Amino acid sequence: MNGTKRQINAWTFVAPSLILTLIFGVYPVFWALKYMFYDYQGFGTPLFIGLDNFERLFRDKDFWHSVVNTFIYAGGKLIITIPLSFILAVVLNRALKGRQLLRAIYFMPTVISASVMAIVFYVIFNSYNGMVNQLLLGAGIISSPIDWLGAKYALLTAIIIAIWGAIGNYMLLFIAGLQNIPEDLYEAASIDGAGPLRKMWSITVPMLGPVLQMIIMLAITVSLKGYESIMVLTEGGPYGKTEVMYLYLYKLFFPVSSGGSSIQQFGYGSAVGFTTAVIVGLITLIYFYVSKKLNDIY
Amino acid sequence: MSTLQADTKITSSPASTIKSKALLSRVLLWIFLLLVAGFALFPIILAFFGSLKSNLELTTGTTLLPKEWKFENFTQAWTSANFARFTWNSMFISTFTTIGTLLIGTMAAYAVARVDFYGKRVYVVIQSCTLFISIGAVVLRPQFDLMVALNLQKSLWGVIIILISAHATAFFMLIGFVRAIPKELDEAAFIDGCNFYSVYFRVILPLLTPALGVTALWTFRGAWNEYILPLVFTMTQPALQTLTVGLAGLKYGVGDAAQPQLMLAGACLSMLPMIIVYIFANKSFMQMTAGSVKG
Repeated sequence: MNGTKRQINAWTFVAPSLILTLIFGVYPVFWALKYMFYDYQGFGTPLFIGLDNFERLFRDKDFWHSVVNTFIYAGGKLIITIPLSFILAVVLNRALKGRQLLRAIYFMPTVISASVMAIVFYVIFNSYNGMVNQLLLGAGIISSPIDWLGAKYALLTAIIIAIWGAIGNYMLLFIAGLQNIPEDLYEAASIDGAGPLRKMWSITVPMLGPVLQMIIMLAITVSLKGYESIMVLTEGGPYGKTEVMYLYLYKLFFPVSSGGSSIQQFGYGSAVGFTTAVIVGLITLIYFYVSKKLNDIY
Repeated sequence: MSTLQADTKITSSPASTIKSKALLSRVLLWIFLLLVAGFALFPIILAFFGSLKSNLELTTGTTLLPKEWKFENFTQAWTSANFARFTWNSMFISTFTTIGTLLIGTMAAYAVARVDFYGKRVYVVIQSCTLFISIGAVVLRPQFDLMVALNLQKSLWGVIIILISAHATAFFMLIGFVRAIPKELDEAAFIDGCNFYSVYFRVILPLLTPALGVTALWTFRGAWNEYILPLVFTMTQPALQTLTVGLAGLKYGVGDAAQPQLMLAGACLSMLPMIIVYIFANKSFMQMTAGSVKG
């Protein structure tokens, strides 16, 4: 069980994973790294144009507008989702009657496809004849229909959908983390006379530290990348109010039915892809740095 | 305010106030829990009742329950909107993606967790890079070209292979679970005559079973929810479209005016198999909570 034989054994087990990752995960990145310096529309000979794509990018107001929208979208989603799912996890990790049923209910949205749900929300949040407005009007809560998918509220509706789909998922991850905390710590704390809040602050949070850090980091990257439900719900409209950066990027490669450019732009799209990845990477790094600092303070 | 009252009362009759305070916090807790439950369920409930209304009632009615139950919405979606085909395609993709991901993920996780092989660090760095670096839809273009080269662009296998290739999340979930299995068990098996491969099949996989349930749930759900990838691969091939792609396609209508009641019926058809799968996968999740994680 040592030496070269074990090395070869291990490599045979890693090889399928590595080969698939290299071909379908790594190669496309290098493809983009090459074509971001080219003028390439998917046909004809790609033309090397140096940094022209990036020059265009920095002047592309639509793109930077979509970056701002992404921050609002991701921030709005996380600020509600993370605390709410953490509280639910703590509550449902205790002995509570009906907790299995509640867990199942909260987790249910996450098993339903984001694009399917976007269709449902598209129908029920419709401003003229959507069920949400009809029920609110019928109950006398509002006096005139709210234009949920209009310029004013569309981004908020998108955030509501994102929160709806995410809570159960992060609750589950938090519960998995909580179950790794030894029960005796809480018993010892009870004997020492610690109350529930004290236990939360002095045992749960520090013991959950690395798991918490990982889950939040995952949540940040996932919410910055998400654009499926927006694509189905509004396609970035009206007037680009819900355009997030990854959706903007998608349209450069696969132009959609309404709005925007209808020409594929692989070269410029690659430059946009590279830049969005850098933006997400920077935010992740900043978070990592800050949360590490916070850990040191503990 | 309430705490202040409670504090003053404590001096008079401690036992009863503690009791009523506990009752109050219980009631508040349950109101909170039920509100969240309502939030989680309202779109599903609205979609269900809406799918049974007529077009006219859906667009003008103000009641939750349909006045006239139109079950034919479902048969119409199933037959004329081709949902039978979409369901099969979704099942096919999700099942094989899950099997492939679990196989490749557990193998890699086992090797990484147990052997210090040459190049391990590089491998793990590559995997975590694919997890955190995302250039979004850009990758779909070269991926599509690769599938054209492999002549798989007109088959569901192209989508499945790409979904399996994105197994970094499953890999990192599984590596934690493998590490939780005591190394002494491997060593004992080696002494009993097992080799690298039989330890994987006889020790690691059986002990991973609860964790596999969780990872399978995660992977299956991911493949089922996938919209962009199958959309790009099946834009021009309706027969290969999945539920997500087919349903979103209803939004653009087929010549007719928008038919919201059909969209909701289609959405319910898309949710139903997943909810059934969820009930089963949910059980394996409960198994995990029961014990293995503490390992």
